[in-house]
Amino acid sequence: MQNTSPSTVRIFFEGQPLDVPAGISVAAAVLGHAHAGHTCRHAVDNSPRAPFCLMGVCFECLMEINGEKDVQSCLVPVQEGMVVQRQFQPAETE
Amino acid sequence: MDRNMDLVVIGSGPAGLSAACAARACGLDVALVDEQAAPGGQLFRNIETPMGQALLDPAERAAGLALVQRFRESGATYFPETVVWGLEGTRLSCTRNGKAETFSASRVIVAPGGMERPVPFPGWTLPGVMSAGGADILLRAGGTLSADKNAPVVLAGNGPLLLLLAVHLLNAGVRIAAWLDTGCWPRRFMAGPLMPAGVLDMPYVLKGVGMAARILKGKVPMVRSVTNIRALGTDRLEKVRFDAAGTPRELEAAVLLRHEGIIPRTHILRSLHAAHKWDAVQRCWYPDATDSGRTSVPGVYVAGDSAYVHGGDASLLKGELAGIEVARDLGVLAEAEAAHRSAPLRSKLRKLRIARDFLRYVFAPNPNIFAVPDDTLVCRCECVTAGDIRKAVAEGYGDVNEVKRVTRCGMGQCQGRMCGPALAEIVAAAQSKHPQDVGSLNIQQPFRPVTLEAYCDLNA
Repeated sequence: MQNTSPSTVRIFFEGQPLDVPAGISVAAAVLGHAHAGHTCRHAVDNSPRAPFCLMGVCFECLMEINGEKDVQSCLVPVQEGMVVQRQFQPAETE
Repeated sequence: MDRNMDLVVIGSGPAGLSAACAARACGLDVALVDEQAAPGGQLFRNIETPMGQALLDPAERAAGLALVQRFRESGATYFPETVVWGLEGTRLSCTRNGKAETFSASRVIVAPGGMERPVPFPGWTLPGVMSAGGADILLRAGGTLSADKNAPVVLAGNGPLLLLLAVHLLNAGVRIAAWLDTGCWPRRFMAGPLMPAGVLDMPYVLKGVGMAARILKGKVPMVRSVTNIRALGTDRLEKVRFDAAGTPRELEAAVLLRHEGIIPRTHILRSLHAAHKWDAVQRCWYPDATDSGRTSVPGVYVAGDSAYVHGGDASLLKGELAGIEVARDLGVLAEAEAAHRSAPLRSKLRKLRIARDFLRYVFAPNPNIFAVPDDTLVCRCECVTAGDIRKAVAEGYGDVNEVKRVTRCGMGQCQGRMCGPALAEIVAAAQSKHPQDVGSLNIQQPFRPVTLEAYCDLNA
């Protein structure tokens, strides 16, 4: 895996490589750099949702990060090789 | 692992950092737990990186860098990416690296800061709709609001952050299609007599004037007296509909950013049943605490915007005062020495409060922003509408906790953070009461979600 510059990190969002600045949150990478639109479907009404507050309050940014579901992606910094997926169901329903 | 120390500080914004530094300077053994990955809080987010520094003005950048550096060198132990979910007495439970841990301390300073007042409106769950603060965090993470720089962005609401965000967007070359002002003019006029006190804090006033000048130069179309904001779209935002002074209007929009002021984050102190007071102008609860941050709960102090929203520089003062107070309380600092160190801080804090009091009125939330139609999702987590809430009130449930039990409003994963204020406003309005007279949501511990596995590990 190669880095484009020392201050850049490559993550994989929905299988696609995405180079983003180091130190930012996964939610900021997916929303502000990949322009992903929605990041999850809501467990109650199945509507598409996206991060709203980006500071840990709203719980709308739940995503699957490195295989773990229900992660508040606005509180997790990007890391080299991180695998990020949209979440379509909460963990407990499986 | 159970750790033992003199003081645990929760939060690494200006207040938390400055509290930790002050307590360390008195020789206390200090730990600071932070849910973010790096110190700075929201104001000084990512301050140790060029990206985080880029959007701050030079004075703020210097203050933030100096503060974080002072903290790093203070000898306080820093625990980043640590989510606190419990506080019993002064014993704190948290999750760090996926594992539950406890910290035992003689004293705790709670400094989680403020949050944007969440105000529901139809369509606010559509992707493309965000809080203004969230949008600013995207910009400060080197991101953009949409892939197409020319996509129309609409700002809506009333509050200081909207000015700052508009300046940041204009500087980034973003097209602001409209600014929908929801402010309350009668309240704004009440700010007039208080404005002369602003001279006590000229740099702050000049900063505001500078931002207003930049926005005027940007020729942002302003729409005043806006009500009934509605976000429209199927899978994402396409249009914004609203009434301008009573006349219906519609705008194409790719991004809608709403901001209705900043309120203290009170979940931790609420879960401890700390006494709170109601601000009838700002329409929010804030902890009943002394200038030094002493709350009604023994051993627990509050500092910064979570005590009352006065802004970053006031938070520095409040944090330092709380740190000194804890050292005095533990007998490490003599009474006279504590008074001597606190006096200039108190006087500066008092001056800032007087100078900024007019902003309480200028940015007072308009009560009509909560008069949302029945189809509005108020509780984003449990999908409870304003209509569901009003129906429960009509059935005789008059207290927010009763309405919560009947409708599930506030029972989702955000634990009422996003719907609590609106729930109280809607329940009150339906009974022609004031929001402070319908109770406030009972906050249970754990006040942040924790896996059962992690929870059980603690007691294994």
